[in-house]
Parts: sequence; structure tokens; C-alpha cells
Amino acid sequence: MDALLAALTVITQPQLLLLVAIGTFAGIYVGAIPGLSVTMAVSILISFTFSWEVYSALALMTGIFMGGVYGGSRTAILLNIPGAPSAIATALDGHPLAQRGEAGMAIGVATVMSFIGGFVGILVLAVAAPTVAGFALTFQPRDYMLIALLGILLVGSLSGGSLTKGIFAGALGIVIGAVGMDPLTFAQRFTFGLPDLRGGISFVAVMIGLFGVSEALIQLRHVDKQAVRQKITRILPSFGTVRKHLPLALQSSGIGVTIGALPGTGGDIAALLAYDHAKRVTRNPETPFGEGAVEGLVAPETANNAAVGGAFVPMMTLGIPGDAVTAIMIGALFIHGLNPGPMLMVDRPEMFWFIVGTLVAANCFVLLFGLTGIRLFVKVVEMPRTVLIPLILILSIVGAYAVNNAITDVYWMLAFGVLGYFLRLYHYPVAPVILGVILSRLLDENWRRAIISVRESPERFFQQLFASPLSTVLLMAVILIFLSQTPLPRLIRAQWHKLRSGRQTG
Amino acid sequence: MSQTPEPGGRQPARRPGEAIFAALLLAGSLALLWQAWNIAGPSRLSAARSVPVAATAVMCGAMLIVLIQTLRRPRPVGAHFRLDILPGQVVLIVGLLIGYAVLLRPLGFLPTSALFLLVAIKLLSRGSWLRAAWIAVVSVLAIWVIFRLVFTVLMPQGIVPEGQIVQLLRDLFAAAPGGGAR
Repeated sequence: MDALLAALTVITQPQLLLLVAIGTFAGIYVGAIPGLSVTMAVSILISFTFSWEVYSALALMTGIFMGGVYGGSRTAILLNIPGAPSAIATALDGHPLAQRGEAGMAIGVATVMSFIGGFVGILVLAVAAPTVAGFALTFQPRDYMLIALLGILLVGSLSGGSLTKGIFAGALGIVIGAVGMDPLTFAQRFTFGLPDLRGGISFVAVMIGLFGVSEALIQLRHVDKQAVRQKITRILPSFGTVRKHLPLALQSSGIGVTIGALPGTGGDIAALLAYDHAKRVTRNPETPFGEGAVEGLVAPETANNAAVGGAFVPMMTLGIPGDAVTAIMIGALFIHGLNPGPMLMVDRPEMFWFIVGTLVAANCFVLLFGLTGIRLFVKVVEMPRTVLIPLILILSIVGAYAVNNAITDVYWMLAFGVLGYFLRLYHYPVAPVILGVILSRLLDENWRRAIISVRESPERFFQQLFASPLSTVLLMAVILIFLSQTPLPRLIRAQWHKLRSGRQTG
Repeated sequence: MSQTPEPGGRQPARRPGEAIFAALLLAGSLALLWQAWNIAGPSRLSAARSVPVAATAVMCGAMLIVLIQTLRRPRPVGAHFRLDILPGQVVLIVGLLIGYAVLLRPLGFLPTSALFLLVAIKLLSRGSWLRAAWIAVVSVLAIWVIFRLVFTVLMPQGIVPEGQIVQLLRDLFAAAPGGGAR
């Protein structure tokens, strides 16, 4: 009952509901405009909302998150430019539909399917998170350490192609997070004798630099590209269309939630997997996949929105972010004095249920705003980048400055912006950096706790790793990800094929 | 922006400056490893330096592999550092940003932002100065209203007497309902 009341807070307080609405609305546009990403928007917003009351700040940011994941589909359909990585799969069939003159229908289907997927995700979050949190209370420090490593590794291996570059980025993040005074021994780490560094580097500055400034700088390279006009007609899909694709939508939602809940994998991968699944299960599509199949639009759109609810599960229960956006959300919770993890569910259950309620409200607003305001949308997307990019840069600077009123943070932000520009250009993934920064402290503390608990003996540490099934499974997962990126699996496969063909001939 | 191998399994050519960037990152990682090693404290596994040393060692190892892989790929052909990696607009904007950061404190938020927007929009869009000035002023005012008044973010005041303006606005709004009676 208390849970329900907490979830309803957002509806009973008109001011909070309005903030969710504004957030969702803004999120849709931010997600839709190529070059503006949800990570960028949330990281800049954290710094502006940190003086707010926690409910208001969360309402706004959850709205942006939910709207942003959906918003990417619009530009994917209309312009064949996915507004966000999670909309890459949407463009495959969404854009051909638009080219056939069915842009309105495509947007309508995408909206309704996002809504359905979003709900499945939230439902799973509401059911699974309390259970997972209860289970997580039995976790040992070494398990937290392994989960943190797993998260960074997964993001590293999936977001950029090269795991080596991902590992480098994750380790860099851990080092950035370690800068400053060590909380246990007060030893100075990486301060280079500078008093400004004793308090550490503000992670908001790192975040805005890596996701705001560096993205804006990358966008400068394509400043001259023109947006394409599209005429949009009927948008509300018929009930028949929705009902026909409902089974596929539910299957894709399942994929989306599961993938979203895995640490390190988010909506982009969920969407691609769901698209693949749709291709396999749809025997006779009316239109072939890749040429405008409605199924090819339904699957990724349900999956990426279902992944939102999924991604909140490890974030709220373990304090481990699933991807860059949830990493930033964790940062936002930190700033408001909340510590995501199993204890949050015990100490502040109303906070969890409030977030669930906010997600539900945001999901409804996605449906509302998604089916209206197309004309305004086309105008906003056509806003010239030559104006947009300088504005983003100003907002980034204001954001970095606002957290501590320190000009040093602005310098850090600019430095990380330039570093991020080169990292992106040379195909180093930047998401692991931010995961590393967020998880640095958790990793450090839990490693020290784990090793102190075995009286500094590495042998006993390893014994304990294999004594508990959970630790063993986590360790195996970490090792497997490592091995999967080395030439070893290919050698084994080749050997196996040789063996098999040898047996067949022999 | 994923790296797609070319057909035939050939490695794609590296981008201009990629090897140098990798080398710089490796050098930086080594310097950080040295720093981490010198963090004060007892040499125990639970010491303040253990995780930093491990993380920087991983950075060095990973960068060494990346550098070797990068050097093995063919040299870039038909690509130029100035055009492909650091085009004029990027250098220009980074320069403007540094200028912005330097001027923010002494000049204050409003004039610096207006100036930044004016120059950036003018040079990027190659439109008229008048258009750029118009957009700059309107956007700065909008940002100021949203962030100073709604989000109550305090920016460096500089030469503009912001506090007095806000006070004036407050007085104005406070006085309005009563028909100016004070």
C-alpha cells in the first residue's frame, strides 16, 4: 500500500507531473535531433537541478531519459539518421517506410510500440527489483568488485568494437575517479601537489566534457549537412495493426528487458537483437525486411523502450549502471545524497516506488507527445546546427560551472571535451570512462574490504572466490569476456571443425 | 562510428595522427603508473595505491597492445590531419571556448556568452553580423531567464550588475498586483 502511494506521488502533485511532462517533451526532441543525445542532456541537466529537491530533479531526468530513448526513432524514420544509438535498428525498416510515403504510419506504430515496450519494462522493474535487492543484501564485497569489473568490461567490449580500447577507457575512468584524497588513509592520489585536485575531479565536469562538448565538436565536422523535408499524413495506427503485431511486441519486450538488465548492455543492443529475432520468427512478412517491413519497426522500438525499465534494475538494486545514461543517473542520485544499491531499497523504498511511478507517467507522456506535434517537430529538427552547437557549448560551460561555482571545473570539462573528441575520432569508446569514474570508489572500497577480510592473503582471497557459487560465476563471466576477445575462440572453433571433419572422413 | 573491416579481411588504414595519439596515451599512462606507484602508504594489498597501480598498469598494457595493432595497420592514404581530424571549425571553436573560459570571470556571464555566440554563429554559418547578433542576444537572454531565474544558477557577474537587475525585477513583480502601492 505504501508502495502504491509512493508511486502515485507523481500524479498527486501537479508540479511533479508537469516536470515529468516537460522532461519527456524535451527528451523526445533531444533524442530526435541528431547530435544531441540523452546522455548529453542528462549530464548537463544534473548540474542545473542539483540544488532542487530530489523528487523534482528525478521527475525531470526520468522524463528526459524515457523521451530520449523514443525520440531517436523519429529522425531514424524521417531522415535515416538515428537520433540515438538505440534507434539504429529502427532506421533499417523505418526509413524505407517513410520513402514509400508512410512516414506517418511508421511514426505512429513506433510510438505505440514504444509505449507497450516501456510498460513491460516498468512492470519487470517493479516486480524484479525488490527481489534482486533482497538477494543483493547477501553479496560480499568481492562480489560487488566483480560485478563492477563485469559492467565496465561489458560496456567496453560492446560499445566500440575493440575490447582493448574499451579496457583502456574503463581503467582511465577508474583512475580519474581515484584522483584526490583517499577516504580511508588520506593519502593523496594523482594530485600532483595541486590543492585544487585534493577534492578530486568533479565527475559532472568529466561527464559534460565527454558527452556534451566532445559530441558538439564531432558535430561541427558535419555542420553543413542539410535536413530532408518529409510530408507526414495520418499518424494514429489502426487498432488492427497494433493487435496483429502484439505477440511480436511482447517477445521483443522480453528481449529488451533482459538485455537492458544486464550490466553494460543497453537499448542499442536490445534493439538490434530484437530486430534479428523478428527477422527469424516472421515467416512471411508482407514486405521483405530492410525494405519497409512493419515487423522490423515493431521489434526494435518495443525492445529499446523495454530496456529502460530493465536498465533501472541493476542501477537501483546494485548501484551498478547498465550503460552511460544509467551511469549518469547514478551520478544524479549521488548528488542528491542517495546511494543506489540494495540499502536504498531497504532505507528509502518510497524513493524506488516514486521512480517507478515517474517512469509510468513518462511512458504515458511519450504516447501523448509522440502522436501529436509533428509539425513543430519538423521545425525543431531543421534548426541549423551552426546555431545549435554554440548553444550546447554555452549550456555545457554553465552546467560545469554551476555545480561547485568553480572555474577549475570548466577547465576540466574543456580538457575532457578535447580528449573525448580525439577518443571518439580514433574509435575509443567513451562510455566505459564514465562507468569507471562512477564505479571507481565502489571498486576500490570493496577490493580493500575483501582483501582485509582475508587478512591480506591472496591465497585465501582466491579460495573464497571459489567457495561461493555467486563469486565463481561472476569470475567466470569476467574471464569469458576477456577470452572472447582474444584469438583463442577462433582457434578452438577451427580445431573443433578440423576434428569433426576428420571424424566424418575417417 | 564502428570500425568496419574492408572486404577481403584487409585491415582498414589508420587515420592520420592515430598512431601518435596512441603513443601519447601510452606515455600518459606510463606517467600515471609512476605517479600511482609513488602514492604514500604501506605496501600492502589493501593500501591506498593498490587499485590505482592496478588500473594504471592495465592502461599501460592495453595501450601497448593498441599501439602495436595501430602500427600494424597500413599508413593513411589520401587523408590529411588538418582536413580529417582537425578541420578549421573545430580549431576555431576550441579556441573560442578557451577564450570564453578565460574571460568568464572578469567580464561576467552575460557579455562573454553574447560575444561567444555572436562570433561562433557568424563564423560557422557565414550569415550576416546582424542575424548572428540577433540570435546571440535573444538566446543569451533566454538562457539567463531560464537558468538564473528558474534554476537559480549563479554565474560570474562580472561587469553587469546582475544582482541589482534581479532585485529590480522582483520589486516590479512584487509591486504590480497592488497597483504600484508601496
